[in-house]
Amino acid sequence: MATGTNQAAGRFWQVITFSLAALAMIYLSYLLPRLLPGDFVTATYASANVTLTAEQEAGLRAYYTQDKGFGDYLLKLATLDWGYSYAFLTPVSDLFFGALPWTILLLGSANLISMFIGFVTGVEAAWRHGSRTEKGLVGGMTVLEGIPEICTGVILLVVFAYNLQWFPAAGAETAYAEGGFFQRLIDMAHHLALPLTTLVLAYFPGNFLLTRNSMMMVIKAHYIDTARAKGIFPRRIRYAHAARNALQPIVTRFGLRLAFMITGALVVERINSYPGLGTLLFNAIQTRDLPVIQAVVLFSSLIVLCVILGMEGVYRIIDPRIGNAR
Amino acid sequence: MNLEVKNLDVAYGNGGHSIQALEDVNLKIDQGRCLALVGESGSGKTTLGKACLGLLPNNARQRGSILLNGQEIDTNDETALNTIRWKSVSMVFQNGAANLNPAHRIIDQVAEPLIQHGGVNRDEARGRAAKVLEEMGLPEEFLGRYPHQFSGGQVQRVLLAMAMILDPGVLILDEPTSALDALTKGVVSRVIEEGRSRGKAILLITHDLEFAVRSADSMAVLYLGQIMEALPADELFSNPLHPYTLALKRSYPAMNSARDLGGIRGDAFYRTIHQHGHEDETDYLHSHIQVPESSHKDGHAPPSGCLFSERCTQAIEECQKGRVRFEQAGTHTVRCLRRGIVDMLELKGVEKGYNSVTALCPIDLTVKAGEIFSLVGETGSGKTTLAMTAAGITRPDQGSRLFEGRDMDRWIKKDYKSLARRIGVIYQNPAESISHRFSVLETVAEPLTIHRVGLEKGERVDRVKKCLADVHLSTDRAFLERYPHELNMGALQRICLARALVLGPRFLIADEPTSSLDPSVQAKVLKLLLDLQIERGLTMLFVSHDIGLVRKISDRIGVMLQGQMVERGPASSILSQPCHPYTRLLIESVRRAFSLELNRGNNRQHPAGCSFAPRCPERQEICDKQTPQLRDIGHVQVACHFPLNTPLFPFLQ
Repeated sequence: MATGTNQAAGRFWQVITFSLAALAMIYLSYLLPRLLPGDFVTATYASANVTLTAEQEAGLRAYYTQDKGFGDYLLKLATLDWGYSYAFLTPVSDLFFGALPWTILLLGSANLISMFIGFVTGVEAAWRHGSRTEKGLVGGMTVLEGIPEICTGVILLVVFAYNLQWFPAAGAETAYAEGGFFQRLIDMAHHLALPLTTLVLAYFPGNFLLTRNSMMMVIKAHYIDTARAKGIFPRRIRYAHAARNALQPIVTRFGLRLAFMITGALVVERINSYPGLGTLLFNAIQTRDLPVIQAVVLFSSLIVLCVILGMEGVYRIIDPRIGNAR
Repeated sequence: MNLEVKNLDVAYGNGGHSIQALEDVNLKIDQGRCLALVGESGSGKTTLGKACLGLLPNNARQRGSILLNGQEIDTNDETALNTIRWKSVSMVFQNGAANLNPAHRIIDQVAEPLIQHGGVNRDEARGRAAKVLEEMGLPEEFLGRYPHQFSGGQVQRVLLAMAMILDPGVLILDEPTSALDALTKGVVSRVIEEGRSRGKAILLITHDLEFAVRSADSMAVLYLGQIMEALPADELFSNPLHPYTLALKRSYPAMNSARDLGGIRGDAFYRTIHQHGHEDETDYLHSHIQVPESSHKDGHAPPSGCLFSERCTQAIEECQKGRVRFEQAGTHTVRCLRRGIVDMLELKGVEKGYNSVTALCPIDLTVKAGEIFSLVGETGSGKTTLAMTAAGITRPDQGSRLFEGRDMDRWIKKDYKSLARRIGVIYQNPAESISHRFSVLETVAEPLTIHRVGLEKGERVDRVKKCLADVHLSTDRAFLERYPHELNMGALQRICLARALVLGPRFLIADEPTSSLDPSVQAKVLKLLLDLQIERGLTMLFVSHDIGLVRKISDRIGVMLQGQMVERGPASSILSQPCHPYTRLLIESVRRAFSLELNRGNNRQHPAGCSFAPRCPERQEICDKQTPQLRDIGHVQVACHFPLNTPLFPFLQ
């Protein structure tokens, strides 16, 4: 079929473009950290009570900047050899994979929860358009959306960790704790609570407003009248007919949030000293720990690519019209 | 099932400014019947359809009741509504694909009501949906597709299938044929036909008048939310009673009407109801007809009175006051103070002879306000005599004449001038109807002088110039001072036309008014006359030999033969299916020559029998013995013993 070959050709070119983009990103991840002012040596010894002689400094610098060029970098990437961290002297991959699960746990759950709550409240609010509840919700959410997560994070920390002492102020789990699997799980949840709440509070108003606005367009559509005329249960009209077609913006937002997972987590992870990729990156930048910075930057940019590629497919499922739009 | 709407009022919006969508709507559809609701867009047709399903938006205020099988539908109770929605009343919405959820497969959308109301499981529902869809002519491989993969006509089939899936007792079709090709319309026709035979009550909302006439039993004409006329569907084209119905019919490009399309003067937008201080009065609630770009004050519609009065060409002062009732008039019901279109001219049993020659046998002629009635017939058939009698110029030997409801003879005696001012006449021979001693200016200004119109300096000349410009003549000084012998026939004829129109008559009698004009000027002049008909409601009695011309402008046609009217009716019927052999001969002779046939026995003074008999191909014994009387055949009246019933151009029918 002609359309079939067209689509296959389209996919092929898409793969090519994405590969080229990935290559460009790899190059940038190699180049950009190098453009940072200062290097590991100055960053480490500037504040220390050690005075280096010029020779020592040159020696150290030569040791830490064994730059063998982009080709070598690419080769090492391909063999999964990400090098050693300057600061910790451990393999970068160990550091990276040690931090990654925590970020996924925090950001994944924050995104899922805020999307779910935001979506449902958005749908219900739009359905009750014009009511006092809806107006109140929209006003409240707009205000909440305006508060940066750094503020909520700090306030939550002060109130619940320092004053009330309900939750731990730092870390992802209690160090050296012993106990069964469930105890560990509870401990992790306990630690997760504050940063998670901060992120949910930061993300969910936006999701709410987006869903509500998207729904407002959809519920005016003729097919909603058709569904009402058919005598369909209101809840089915709301979700199967209306919300189904209001999904796209919220899914886009979800995807973009995932794509910017690391930068998104940076602030909250710092405030709560959560051992995720954000904290790792922050520390690495402070110490000009080039191999670590490179790994995190590269990973985060590749995620963006993957998410965008994946979203294309998701869009096709959400809106069957997209597959034909060419 | 039957559906009844009683005193329904619907207004959108609240408080300050609301839009009146429906007012005082009453209609009833019995089971097995189809009612067509027609009217311009914005007249409230869709609102009525949606109201029957309780689908009006929250800002709609509804009064009055909608009854289903005599049981009132409570539009505030969603649960109760959901028990009748689709099960008892279903609707095919307008706008095609917009009514289908883009994210669901069409088979699921069609099956959905079955699962919801029928307690049927998903697979069975799909099976039944597939069957209904296939009945509508959608092949199986289409069923799993999404709405965007369908063409407009296929979407319409899906919507029909969806509406029929639960086999409801009441079916509402909102513009089911707009954007459909003629062949796909057949599917909609079939659904209506089957629905009627299975006892459904069908409300067909449409602006496709021909489709409505074909499909429906009765018809309601909606204007700005009020029903203006309710009538049997098949009388829409032949016998509209309300001026709005007539105007709507004239605007519709009907297949077998050759007449140029007319419009309706002015525009209808929507009606708002609001409250504010008006001049020095205190706040009061009143309604408007919204007209763009007009100041608030000018945009004021009368708080009461006929809604159509602003656009109606026969409106009188009383139409703007008082409440207009919806009243029975024969088989029609009209909301019109004047009880429908009035008669401009009514001749009864008019007879005229010149010495021994009978020019007019007793003849009846009615010309309705705002219509163009054409008289056709061979030379010497009495057309001109009849026209001049109608103009009040020739006095009939017998019979009565009424003009605007007043006796003409008495009017002539008492105050001829005021009658003459209302009737403009164009005589057959332009050269002879203009005095040789009058210049162009004097000729056209003469009626103004006689009736003492435009006494101010320069006003008369301006009016003359305007009239001359209207008939596409020069208006410069040199032309105004010319004399008839300096002008050609075409110019003279147009001067006659200008002279007849200069006083702004209500009624124009035109005897071959364009016979000397070349086609391009003739087209412009006729355009002018048709515009005057739309804008001012100019009524015309038009005499012509030119059937092609008559086709283009006539609303009705009367065929004359030896002082008698042998056939009369709507122009479209007479031209597409002439019943009298003489009419047929007249029309066909435009294409082929029948000179011999026509001349034979032309001057025979008939003692008895049909005057066409000597030349008639259908002649039988009775034709020579008994004079046929006018009788109704369909929408036309024919004086013939053996009227023809085959169309002139068979394929068009």
